[in-house]
Order: sequence, then C-alpha cells, then structure tokens
Amino acid sequence: MFEALKQKWNRKNLTDERFAFLFDGVHEDEIVVYDCETTGLNPKKDNIISIGAVKIKGNKILTDQAIHIYIQQEEEINHKSITIHQIRNCDLVGAIPAHEAIERFLYYIGNRKLVGYYLEFDVAMINKHIKPMLGITLPNKKEEVSAIYYDKKIATIPQGNIDLRFDTILKELDLPKLGVHDALNDAVMTAMIYLKLQHVKKL
Amino acid sequence: MIALLDNLKTHLPFSLLNNNSFQEIEMNAQIAYFPSNSILIVQQSIPNKLFVVIKGTVEASNDEELIDVYHSNDTFAGIEILENKPSDYQYMVTEELICYEIPRDTFVKLCHDNKEFKAYFFSTIVERMEMLKDKKEYASMSSLLVARVDETILHAVCEVPMETPIVEALKFMEASKSSSLLIKNPNGYGIVTDADFRHYILYKEEKNLTTIGQIQTYPMISIHEGELLFNILLLMTENSIKYLPVFNEKEQLLGVLELIDLLSFFSNQSHLITVQISKAQTLETLIAASSRVEMMIDALHSKGVKSRYIAKLVSEMNRKMYLKLFEMIVPSSWHNRCTFILLGSEGRSEQILRTDQDNALIFEEGFMPDDIKEVSEKFIETLDEIGFPRCEGEVMIIHPKWCKSIGEYKKDIDGWFNNPTMEGFMDMAIFADSVAVGGNDALHKELMEYLAEKIKNNKQILTHFAKAIENFESPLGLFSQFVSHDKAHKNEIDIKKSALFALIHGVRALALEHGIHTTNTTLRIKELNNKGFMNKQDATDLMEALEVLNTLRVQAQLQQWKRDEKIDNYISVVNLGKLEKDLLKDALKTVNKFKKLVAYHFHLSMVG
Repeated sequence: MFEALKQKWNRKNLTDERFAFLFDGVHEDEIVVYDCETTGLNPKKDNIISIGAVKIKGNKILTDQAIHIYIQQEEEINHKSITIHQIRNCDLVGAIPAHEAIERFLYYIGNRKLVGYYLEFDVAMINKHIKPMLGITLPNKKEEVSAIYYDKKIATIPQGNIDLRFDTILKELDLPKLGVHDALNDAVMTAMIYLKLQHVKKL
Repeated sequence: MIALLDNLKTHLPFSLLNNNSFQEIEMNAQIAYFPSNSILIVQQSIPNKLFVVIKGTVEASNDEELIDVYHSNDTFAGIEILENKPSDYQYMVTEELICYEIPRDTFVKLCHDNKEFKAYFFSTIVERMEMLKDKKEYASMSSLLVARVDETILHAVCEVPMETPIVEALKFMEASKSSSLLIKNPNGYGIVTDADFRHYILYKEEKNLTTIGQIQTYPMISIHEGELLFNILLLMTENSIKYLPVFNEKEQLLGVLELIDLLSFFSNQSHLITVQISKAQTLETLIAASSRVEMMIDALHSKGVKSRYIAKLVSEMNRKMYLKLFEMIVPSSWHNRCTFILLGSEGRSEQILRTDQDNALIFEEGFMPDDIKEVSEKFIETLDEIGFPRCEGEVMIIHPKWCKSIGEYKKDIDGWFNNPTMEGFMDMAIFADSVAVGGNDALHKELMEYLAEKIKNNKQILTHFAKAIENFESPLGLFSQFVSHDKAHKNEIDIKKSALFALIHGVRALALEHGIHTTNTTLRIKELNNKGFMNKQDATDLMEALEVLNTLRVQAQLQQWKRDEKIDNYISVVNLGKLEKDLLKDALKTVNKFKKLVAYHFHLSMVG
C-alpha cells in the first residue's frame, strides 16, 4: 500500500516521458543482476566508474546479452580505488559520458526486477544520477541476494552469526570463484548465487 | 571478457580457437544452472546446444546403463550436433550443474572457421592421444616415432657382380672404405659382411670358395625408404644384423643403413641389452643385463613410443633371455625331449614391466628326469634374482601342474571339456596364449593342435569360456562410485579387471573360435578383421582402446617402479589430465561395446 503510493509519487515526478516504461507492470520473465564499480563507498561523494549487468531468464544467465559500460570521469581516478578495481585511467578509453551510460542502463533494465549484492548501495549510486536527470529514483522491484542467503542460513543456525561476505557466500554455495573483480564478473557471480539460492531450500 | 570464458581457453578443444572465435562465443553463450536429476538431452533427440561443464557432474546413459561421466571443463553433445543425429544417450545431471550452453549455430560456425577445432570432435582415441602427447611436450617423440629412414644417414653402395673373385672384391671394398658389399645377382641382390669373410677364411679350401657370389647372404633382408626407424631397429634386433640395404620405390638401391648410425638416433640401450643377453656366458652377466630392461622401458615411454612397440621389444628381449636361461640351467640332454613355454601375458607378448611370470615345461611321453625339482627351482630362483615376481596363480615350472608330460597335459585339456569349471577355463585361457621358447617346440605344437581340434568339435564350450568377460562390472560406473566403495584404492580403478581383461579375453575366445594361432591380442584382432568377423573400423577402435589402456597402465606402473612400490594394475583417476580422462572414457566405451558384441555372439545371456 505504502509502496504503491510511493511509486505513484515517484511516477508523478518523472520529467522525461521516454522512460515511462520503467513504471510498466513488472516484467515477469526476466530479472537483471547488476553491479557498479565506484571511486569509493560514499554515494554522496563518489562516482560510478563502470556498470556490469546481466539478465537472468528461468535457469539461465544470459551472458550473451550482458553489458559492461565504462563511464568517463571528470576527475582522475585516485590511486586508492585503482588498487581495488584495477581500472586505470587508461582503461577508460571507450568510456562514455555519465548521462549516456545511465540512459543505456535504464533501457537495458526496463521494468525488470533488480538483484544484487548490497544492492542498496548500487541503487543509491544510480539514483544519484537519475534524480537530477529524470526527477525519479529507480522504481524497479529489488531483491538482495545476501538477504535470501541469510533467510536460508538462519533456518539452520538460529541465533548464529552469519557471515555475509561475498567470498564466503560463494564458498558456502560451492560456486566457482572468478579471479577477476570487475563489474561484469561480479554481476555474473551474483547471478549464479541468485540462481543457486532459488533451488536450495536450506543451507 | 567474462572470466569463466577466459578459463576455457586453456582447455582442449577450446585452446585451439583464436580470439575472434572467443568473441563469437562470448556474444552467444549463456550460463545455465540445473539442479540434480535435470535431464539435459533426451535420448533420441538432437541437441540444440553444446554443453561445457563449469561445475557439477553429468552422466550419459542408455537404457539404465551408464556410458560416460562428465566433470568440470568437459564438453558434450558436439558430435551429435555436427552429425545432426539423435543422441544415443540420455544426459542427466547427477550433481547440480553450472554449465555453458553454446547455441548450435554458433558451434557450427566455430567448427566451420576452425578446422582443428572441428577435427577434435571427430578425432579418434589415437589422435587425441597424439594431441595429448604434443601437449605434454614429449620433446623427442618426433625423433623416434616420426623419424623415417632417408638418404642422409645411408652409406654409399659398394656393388660388385657375383662372379667377381673374392680377393678382387675385397680390394674394391677396401678402396671405397665400405664395410659391406652388395652382390648383383640375376634376381636382386645379396650382401657380404664381416661374418661372410670369416666364413671364407675358415672354409675356402674345404669348400673351394673363389667367387664373391659363393659366400654372399642371399636373399638378403632389406627395406624401402620411408620406413620408420623404430621398426627398423626391431627388424635389426630380431635378425641380429648390422647392415641393412635400403631401396626406393622403383627398387633401386639407395644405400646401406648401418646399425651404429641407427643407434645414435636412440639414446636407449635396447640393442646393447639384447647383445648383452645373447652374449652372456654366465648367469651373473645374464642377470645383470636383464635387470636393465626397466630403465630402457622408462626411456622409451617418456619419448612417447607406443606401448605396443615397447611390449614387442621387451618381449623380444625376454624371449632371448628365457632361451638363454633354458640353455644354461636345463641340462642339454633334456633339450630335445621337452619344451619350455611362456603363457599368459608373456605368451601374448604384452607384458612390459615385470608384474608376473607364467611358464611351464612339457615333457616327452615317458621322459621324466629325477632332478626335475632341483632344475626348476634353480630356474625360478634365477628369475627371482632378475626381478620377476612369482606368479600368484602358481603357473610356474616349480609347480607339478605346469611341469609334466604331454599326455598329462592332454588329460587336463580333456578335463576342461568334460568337466567345465571356472578354474579349468582360466587354465585354458592361460594355455591358449602360450608360445614355445626353448627346447623341442613340436611338443607344444602338438598340444595346441589337440586343443584346437577339441574346440572345433565342441564349439558350445566357448560360450561358457567367454562368460568370464561378465565377471567384472562396467568400469565407467566406478568413476562416480569408487570413492566410497574401495577405501584402499580411493580414486583409482583397476584397469586390468575393469577393462583389459574383458577385451583380452573376448578377443581370445573369438580367436579360438576362428582357429587363429597367433597369441598377441593386437595381432588376433587384425586376424579377426582379415577373416571378416570384424570390420576395419571396429578392429581399429579396439586396437586403439587396447593401446590407451596399456599406455595408461605402463605410465602408472613406471611411477610405482620409480617409487619402489609394488607394481599393480591400479591407475589413479584424479591424477589424469582432462584429455587422458577423455581417452580413458572413450577406450572404456569401446570395451563396453565390444563386450556386448561378444555377449551377443556367444549368446552369453543363455548361460548362467
């Protein structure tokens, strides 16, 4: 009820009618898993460097339709974040301006449900851009993989401390760990976690 | 690039692709998740994508029988797509699966753009083995296996007509600094070497020798250009010759190949050992020479020489050794009145490393020397010293069962037919593989004919004989089960019980039925093909499977030998590379298919 009202309000604020499709009834078939690499962990101050996203349909990760967008930076990427993502300034050749990247991302996700690991942060990063651009926040349904994991795990060890680190979840679910950490590979790994969790009753 | 795809680049057949093809895959492949028990390909349907396992296990089966198991980085459904034929098997997930699915059209395009990639899916066991050997960088394999005789290593021909006086011919030979002479005869050539001149010096007056034609070796052993050096080495060792004339396709003489040059191509000691064995005057030197065979095997194997050639060379040496032992230990008064035979794997020339010994003595009727016990014990003790483990089944001349008169053996044979027992059939199997090595081989021949005649008149016995191939379960099942079943041999399979036995025994039963006298399994298969029982493709597949199984076994046994462990027939599945696993699977599949053929042929289902 409250959610519906919020979305109605959100819709009213939409300033660019090209993106009205974001508010269409939920796409039942497909969901989108995405991940952003950023210059830091503060959505207010830091910027998106790249977005990786992949769709899931049924039991398949549609890697053939995956996107991996690099965004042009106004400031040089500082050294600290380079060591995390290993994206150097020279890697951003072929990068596109932020507003263009965000538009491409919105066309890609459409009205699909969004899934991610610590999705809240990634959504905040996108919202930071679309609020001034379109007057709205992401209206899509959202699902957090670490929350699904937590629910299944807590059934086995009530009152236990549950380790929600990405690598721990991968290990617990016996999934292959990819050596490379970039937005796309993290999205693919998150997609595998999501798919596996759909089939596991209890951990 | 998605890192998972990147990982594919290091595995066959994807390692054969270029970057463009990888982009093609990246743009079309999807990752799929399947829980256990999902069926990926229904039997008799044409698959519409190629599957590459990222994680999990898939089993292929038909009518409840397990055919194959796929693990990480394994690929399946390729051949069905390329041939556009319905799958013979059902593919089912047995351990939850994450895999790549490459759409049919993309896969077909990849095959179209990359001939090698496509060829991989059609490649036979042997070709994959070759790829594997390439990969393993058996550095000098090419020099051994691929090297063929060409003119560069040949010595110039020194040729004279047969009427030439001997001394004149010698002068000509001296002048041209040649160590052999070729003699032109009306029909072809003869050869004269040191040994012939010795003969001349010793007998020139007695036999009134004057012309070179009188002392020549005619006809002579020769070869054609392009022959594999390895085969030539076998030929020269077998015949104990040092000079080998080489002809071209038009039967023109190209030159003479000398053993010394050939040997420089081989860093192993095969010739040396053979010479040492045949020249041994005392038991000590014989034991010393025979103990070096294992080192030679190791050298040949690491160079990638096919295991059946190694087996051939080793058995050649072992027979020389046995003959020598026979001559040294068995009193000469017996030599014409008994036969020393080798049975089982030694009789088939298939033993490479010494895992066993199977030998027997057949005596003439009415001849049973008193000191037989002492002689046979001395014989076996010498074998102990050389390093032949004693036979667990006691097939040795120190056992009265395998050291008796021909009449007694015939009674045994009668017994196999009149009172069929499992034990009798195993004796019959061992005996069917026997060859005579020393003494009067007529005795052995008589027994073999006796057996052949019996079989001819009692063909139904072969049904019971062949039944033994069903003693051991289909080995592919072991892949997924043996971890929990055989604690002493975790992740290992007994390649002899699980595959080699059925192959060898099945071939043996068929050979007996078709009256084939040769004992070697490869040669028996070739004969079965010649007799029209088996088509060429099936025969080749079976020989390839035998080769793979034997190669993997030798590999494992050499490792045990180096670590000074007991040599057995277990091979570790986890230590095998991806392609080796594929090869093993293919070989096991071929054996399964062959087992079915034998079962059908002998109506095994009708006997209990």
